[in-house]
Order: sequence, then C-alpha cells, then structure tokens
Amino acid sequence: MKTMGQNSKSKRRLALTVVVVALLTAVPGVLDPETSYVVFLLFSAFIYVALAQAWNLVSGYTGQVSLGNHAFFGLGAYVIAIGWSRGLIGYLDPLGMLLAGCAAAILGILVGIPLLSKLRGDYFALGTLGLGEILRLVTIQGRALTAGPTGIFLPSSSFTTIVPYYFMALFLALLATGVTYYMVKSNTGLALVATRDDEAAAAAIGINILKFKVLAFAVGAFLAGLCGALQAYYVFHVEPQGFFSLSWTIYPVLMCVLGGVGTLTGPVVGAVFLTAAFEVAKYYLPEIHPIFSGLLIILVIMFLPNGLVRLRRGRIVRNPKAA
Amino acid sequence: MLDFIPPIDILLQLLINGVLFGTMYGIAAIGLSLIFGTMRIVFIAQGTMIILAAYGSFWLFNLWSVNPYVSILIVVPASLIVGSGLYQVLFRKVAREGQFPTLLIAFGLMALLENLMSVVFSADARAIQTSYAAYALTFMGLKISFTRLMAFVMAVAGTVGVAFFLKKTLLGKAVRAASENLEYAMLVGITPHMVNTLTFAIGIGLAGLAGVATATAYAFDPFSGFVFSLKAMIALALGGMGNVVGALLGGLLLGVIEAFGAFFLSGGWADVISYAVFLLVLMFKPEGLFASGTSAKP
Repeated sequence: MKTMGQNSKSKRRLALTVVVVALLTAVPGVLDPETSYVVFLLFSAFIYVALAQAWNLVSGYTGQVSLGNHAFFGLGAYVIAIGWSRGLIGYLDPLGMLLAGCAAAILGILVGIPLLSKLRGDYFALGTLGLGEILRLVTIQGRALTAGPTGIFLPSSSFTTIVPYYFMALFLALLATGVTYYMVKSNTGLALVATRDDEAAAAAIGINILKFKVLAFAVGAFLAGLCGALQAYYVFHVEPQGFFSLSWTIYPVLMCVLGGVGTLTGPVVGAVFLTAAFEVAKYYLPEIHPIFSGLLIILVIMFLPNGLVRLRRGRIVRNPKAA
Repeated sequence: MLDFIPPIDILLQLLINGVLFGTMYGIAAIGLSLIFGTMRIVFIAQGTMIILAAYGSFWLFNLWSVNPYVSILIVVPASLIVGSGLYQVLFRKVAREGQFPTLLIAFGLMALLENLMSVVFSADARAIQTSYAAYALTFMGLKISFTRLMAFVMAVAGTVGVAFFLKKTLLGKAVRAASENLEYAMLVGITPHMVNTLTFAIGIGLAGLAGVATATAYAFDPFSGFVFSLKAMIALALGGMGNVVGALLGGLLLGVIEAFGAFFLSGGWADVISYAVFLLVLMFKPEGLFASGTSAKP
C-alpha cells in the first residue's frame, strides 16, 4: 500500500508523470521513427509495461498468482487476426481492439469464476497455466477459423510507419497504470489488498472476495487482450506458438518482481529496464541471448527478490502469505 | 450400432501403449511431487532436467559406446549430485520466500538449460540407436516394444525404491515429517536444509532415471522438457500432490487417456482432453484421484 496523505508528495508525483509522458509523446517527433531504434525499443517497453501492470493487479495486489496472461494475450491477437482477415475489423481499429479486450475479459470471467472459487495458491497458478495450453492447442486444431499451426497472415502492406503503434502502446501503458492506480486508490483496492493479506478475515468483514478476485482477473485479462491485439497488428502473422508462448506471462512476471510486486511504479521500472537489457543482449549476443535471459531471471530473483523500487525505500517488510 | 468401437485387441494395444508412455509422465511427476511436498516449489524445470539426463545417456553411448542401461550407473549418481547442488546454489536462500520466486527461478533454469542445450548439442531431435531399439515382444498378438518395457520397469523400480526409502528409512521418515508439518519436524530436530537437499537430490535423481528411459525409448530435443513438465503436473494433479504412488498412477492414467484420445480423435485433441481433465480434477478433486490417508497431504 502507498502511504496516505502528503499532498505535496502526490502533487510532485503527478507533475513528474506529466513531464515524463510529455517527453515520451515528443520522442517520435524528435527522433526519426523510420530509423531510430529507440522508438521501437520504447514501443515494446510500453507493451510490457501494460502486461506487467495487468499481472501486478491480479497477483501483486490481489495475491492470486496467475500464469495465464498469455492465454488472454493470444486470444486478443486471434480476435484481431480472425476479424481483420474476414474484413470485419479494420487496420489499427480501436473498436476492434476494444472487442479483443472484451473477448479476453469475458473469457477471464467465464474461467475466473470456477477457478477462483475453487482453487488457491499453486493450484490456481497451475490451472491458469493449463488455460494457456488449452487455447494454444485449440487454435492449432481450429482448421479454417485459425488456420492451424501456420497461423493467419495479415496484409502487411498496410504498414506505413511505427508512429501510430508507438502512441497506441504508450496509451496502453498509461491505461494499464491508470486503471491499476484508480482501482488501488479506491475502496476496490482496499478490498483487493485485504483479500491478498488475509482471505478469511476479508470475508469475515463482509468483502465478497470472489467478486473482487474475478473483477481483478477480468480487468487483467482485458489489458492483456488489448496488448495482444496491438502486437497482432504489429507482427502481421498470428500463430499459436508465438502468441500463446509462456514468455508473454513469464517476462511480465519477471518485470514485476524486478521492479517490485504490489507497487505502482515497480512494473514500469522493471519493464523498461528488462526490455532494454533483453534488446542489448539480443544485439551483442545474438546466438546465446535466450541463455542470458534465463540467467538474468535467476540472478534477479536471488539478489533482488523485493524489487528495485523497494530497494530505494529500504523497505523489506514482506508478508509471506502475500507471495 | 456399436461400429465405432474397435476390436478388443486394438483397445488392449492402446491400453498398453498408454501405460508404457504414461510411466514417463509418472516418474517425472514423482520428482515434482517430492519437491513440491517438502518445499512448495513448483519445479517446472523437471522436464528439462530429464532431457539433460537423456543427453548425458545419449552422449555416453555415442562417444564411448556405453550401453544405455549401464549408463544409469553414471547418470543417476551424477543427477543426485546435480540435484543437491541445485538446491544449495539456487533454492537454499529463497526456498521459504513463497512460491513465485522459486517458480521463476525454476523457469529461468529451464530457459537457461533449453537454450544452452540447443546451442551446444544443436536443436536436432535425437534418440539412442541400439541394435535392439526396434525389437518388440509379441504376447498374445499384442506388440510390446522392448525399450519401452524396460523404461516401464525402470520407472516402477524407481517408484518402489523411493516409496521404500520414504516409508522405511530414518532419512525418508524425516522427509515425510518435514512435508507434513515443517515446524513440528524442526521441533524434533530435523534440519530443513538437510531434508530439502536430500529431496532435491532424489527428485533430480529420478529425473536422471527418467532421462535414460526417455533416451532409450523415445526421441527428444532440447525443448521437449517443458511439455514434459506440464504433463507431469497433470499427472501430479490426477494422483494428488505429495503422494508418490499416486503420482505414478496419475502418469499411467494420463498416458492411457492420451492414447485413447489420440486414437478416437486426433493427436492434437488428445492434449486438449488431458488439459481439460487436469482443470476438472483441480477444481472438483484437488486432493487427487488416488489420495489415501497414509501419505503426505498437500
């Protein structure tokens, strides 16, 4: 939880956010988006920020460790691919993306109600892991609808410049952070954190824990679905292996842990830092960069289990149950 | 009316194939079950450790012509050492930090090993080509592959060995005590780190055995470990977490479900069915289908 009060502090924070967002908005104007690597780097960092916040809301604040983000990410991508290839959705169509997000949210509610009412802790994590695998296998078997293991090729001639992607990803990152901020600041946030810290006590004081868990899960799914939709527009080829890859869950989780789980700024810091680290590794160690990524995950957990944000504050209070 | 039901010998053949393949899931699940039971670590890298051991056996055979069944004597002790080393280096510090740090370390280890293996050993699928690899026993018209039967025997022997160790030896009792209630176990003088090191060693030792079995009977590549781990988790959910014999039975059941699913539908849908069964069991019978009163409860 954030410390309450200190109006000046929150004002300073707001001012800082506005300045950072203004600077980021100016980036494609200052740097040439056709050649600059920075624009692309920020684009992928923004998507990861949004994905990391989606996981943070469900697992960091509500304490339900989900390993199913990639299921919602992939579903969002497939909604776009199926809709666009049949002419139902346009190129970079905001309504189409909204549809993708809603489809993911509906799946989140449908799956969330039985899973969250029945399963706790590791069992819930394993259940959500199974969800991603089921969707991957179903899309492989989907014949004409999903074009099987080769996936759907989208008209890549639509691509002109990365600039709209950049702003959409920036918007997604801001949306995810804003939604998380809003939910955590409101009474909903108190209910979520209470559910995380002591489920029995939260239920005893009259919190409908299932409702709040499912709400957080559905919002997380919605955000992940939006990210998948944007990624589908960017890649122009939606196939099961790449879009239902567990990396879309594990990397955001790692980013949250690196930055600080259950904090608002942690996932942002972690996502930016790790995206940059992975890109540097990809550039300098093209052959062995996945090895490096694996090693990095291990090192982060062993030496920075509480996250960079808390490192600065020097706060190492952890509730073992919260993990 | 009952035309869709194939003759009984095909059904029996499917059952045998399913059981033989299911033992691979079962033996991987036992390792996961032990590690989860004592440390609450979802060790998702188990399948990748099995593949690593399979490469060990493969190279011993290809470079020095060591018979794969003899290579058990090298691979399994090496796995025991690697297992205790893994615990000491990676998990000792974070073992009680809750589940997702350890899950992430296991995932990191998996990514590290998968890619290391694909760089060093190449991503080609491998299998040990012995003179008897294609040999099959014929029993009442049913075909049983010799190497797969041996894999089955190894898995059963491994399970019996571990079950015996847990039931009869003092160290095994310490492991069971620690997985039932760590605080009480500490009160009677059991050191958690000792138990954890031992459990990890046994878990990875079983991965070594499963690796040799895999290398002799099936084809494998550096990335087959992850699906192996997932299937082992399904087997574990079917059998009940922290239940050694249940884990093996869960593996056999999963193998049979897949064999029948693949025959009646198609290979791809068989996997969907196994995940659906997994979710249903998790939801409606989370203690597993074979839970008994005697073994450690989740």
